[in-house]
Amino acid sequence: MQLGADNEFSWIINIAFFAFIMIFSLYGAKFQIWQYLKQIEIGLHEMKRMFVESRQTAIETFKEYGLSEEVVAKELDQFMDYFTIMPVDLDPAGILKRLDHLLDVRRDRFQEFVAELAPESGESMNQNLENTLEVTQVLGLIYRVVRHFYILGKKTGSQIMIMQIHMQMPDLLRLAKAYFDAIGAFSEGKPIGDGVGPLVITKFAREYGATPESYNHEISREVGYYMVEVEGRTVYALRATGPGGTVGKPGFGVKNLMEKYGNKISRIITVDAALKFEGETLGRVAEGTGAAIGDPGPEKHAMEQAATEYGIGIEAIVVKEDEAAAVGIMDKKILDAVPEVIERIKTVIQKRTKPGESIILAGIGNTIGIGL
Amino acid sequence: MGMISKLIGIVFAAAGFILLFFGMNDTSGLSFVYSLLGLITMSFGFALLTAGKPKEEKPPPPTVTEIRCNDCDFKEIRDFKKGDYVLKPVEDACPKCQTGMTIEGVYIIREEPKETYNV
Ligand SMILES: [Zn+2]
Repeated sequence: MQLGADNEFSWIINIAFFAFIMIFSLYGAKFQIWQYLKQIEIGLHEMKRMFVESRQTAIETFKEYGLSEEVVAKELDQFMDYFTIMPVDLDPAGILKRLDHLLDVRRDRFQEFVAELAPESGESMNQNLENTLEVTQVLGLIYRVVRHFYILGKKTGSQIMIMQIHMQMPDLLRLAKAYFDAIGAFSEGKPIGDGVGPLVITKFAREYGATPESYNHEISREVGYYMVEVEGRTVYALRATGPGGTVGKPGFGVKNLMEKYGNKISRIITVDAALKFEGETLGRVAEGTGAAIGDPGPEKHAMEQAATEYGIGIEAIVVKEDEAAAVGIMDKKILDAVPEVIERIKTVIQKRTKPGESIILAGIGNTIGIGL
Repeated sequence: MGMISKLIGIVFAAAGFILLFFGMNDTSGLSFVYSLLGLITMSFGFALLTAGKPKEEKPPPPTVTEIRCNDCDFKEIRDFKKGDYVLKPVEDACPKCQTGMTIEGVYIIREEPKETYNV
């Protein structure tokens, strides 16, 4: 009953068995690294495909507005690895001011680039083109970084480098896929999941008689507000100006409103989309304390500073979404969450403010496809 | 396609098992060959059995535009057209009461994920 027992071939099996053990104990790790590299390669090809296709979408969107395909492609490729150098944090004093300034300069540069590359498009479409450009840049960046570590890992044979990138691969692919699926939304001006904040603001303001005409423009860059009366309270409902795709500078909008009407304002309410945990339902509404805004820092700081200076409460109402839903075309479930958010805002206003007081209601998010 | 490959897989697995069993009971010099052959056939059969369907890329769900009347409960859902945005006033009047209409939503309905986690 034993494999090859008691015959002249049994030594072959013995040798084969020992060879097998030896090879795997000596070269097992090498074999595994080779496997890792193969898997990274597959993912890398996928990333490249997504980047190339989104670049093509960007070119096709841009060329509708005046310039030829060749010119657009050339300029776009040149701009593809545009970078921003973060301010030095060894001397933290005033770092937020410097960061804010850098972000402003970056924004100016993007707007200038888009205006040059799409001379025949309007302001609203320019913003959408800016977003399209940014998505393509993100995809290009992910692809280039992963390719860098793949090649470096292959060159040096460094196991830790290869393992690191292999472990992060599923997450990076998920992120890339989310952005890749979003490019259609940005190039065509469809609303995205992140736009729930501004949408809530306008729907809320309209319930109390606001119109596109009553919207006050430019309290800060690309941000404005409606002034509505809600049960004896004055609500300054603030959002970025749509329906072009922009997040504006709502943090500074809040700050400027505080400076304008500060002594009467008794509460700040922020509405935003927040990243959901796996297992949580899409479109779930949650409440908390603090400024709900996902900027690199200056905006959030401006809000917190304003609230602290005047000693007033600042709270957040968020709609839970995953990355794909936040950057992709708005899901029905997110739209369905809007009435609940509005109900919660009303509850906050009734419970925690008194008639005669003023409230700032700030909707944070990208306004693409969301009208005033 | 799926059913047939599963059936072939079962046949291969069974054949491989018989070969392996035969090889183990055989005392001649060829027992090793039989066993190996049996193992290979069996693994091939199992590979066919457990192979999933090739992943097909489904087209993304269509984007729709939901239009509602400002006065009555009239509601219309149509395909997204370029230039649509949420809260945009629509040019056409409501067919029921002839007042204005507004785009209340532009959205997609994503498929529910198939896996559910019982936790
Ligand atoms: Zn009607």
